[in-house]
Amino acid sequence: MKPVIARCLVRLYPRTWRERYGAEFEALLESEQAHWGSVLNVLSRAIQERIFPTQGGAMKREPNSFGAVVRHPSALVPIAMSMTALALVLGHIALYGAVRESDEGVTAHLWQILMGAQLPVLAFFAFRWLPRAPRPALGVLGLQAGAVLAAMAPVLYFNL
Amino acid sequence: MRSTRHVDVSTEESGLGHYSDPPLLVLASLANGPKHGHAMIEDILRMCGTRLGPGTLYGAIARLEQQKWIEPLPAEDRRRPYRITGEGLRVLRARLSTLRQFVQAGMERLEPQ
Repeated sequence: MKPVIARCLVRLYPRTWRERYGAEFEALLESEQAHWGSVLNVLSRAIQERIFPTQGGAMKREPNSFGAVVRHPSALVPIAMSMTALALVLGHIALYGAVRESDEGVTAHLWQILMGAQLPVLAFFAFRWLPRAPRPALGVLGLQAGAVLAAMAPVLYFNL
Repeated sequence: MRSTRHVDVSTEESGLGHYSDPPLLVLASLANGPKHGHAMIEDILRMCGTRLGPGTLYGAIARLEQQKWIEPLPAEDRRRPYRITGEGLRVLRARLSTLRQFVQAGMERLEPQ
């Protein structure tokens, strides 16, 4: 693998991981043949390392890393609520079809509660984490926004 | 239903793939001496036909080192060899014993009644 590609792939890992394993990992990548399988393997492991970083031993814990911030309840709860709302809508569509009903049913009310109740949690997360760790917090807010859009997509698409 | 009598079917043909438990494979590779990453990949490939991706290998190395089942040796150029610790050897023996029991039980079930 070309050194420049190896260096770019190593840069995908968190800083603390790179400080410990970066040099030897880069040497290993340079000795490997470049193919998409290896690149995808490194890419997926780097993402995993960012979300669930290796800690303890020779690794220092970085409290404001993306992986640390995303595991706080105020980061995870809104995502879980949006995913639950999405599952409700999809389940409703699967069972009853994508038909707009004149009277809002239980599913619609639950969806509204889930989407509305996460707003204070989102605000709390932004208020607490944006000043402390702007970049990781923006990444988490992006994930949360993606989850909200995913939950809203079927409602808007089917005009429910 | 797939017949259990087709014991001569290769793992590729059966669709089951190769055995893959990266931490166990790394421990087994280091059991006969220290190795660096590339040597581990080649050794594991020879041992069981599984080619670990570089990211998978270093994910396993990081976690095994965290658990103190392997330890780094001084780097040679930019490559760093690792060796298995006493605790790592104990864990490897325990895991392989469990696997041997499992293999034995499975093979006995394949014997004609």
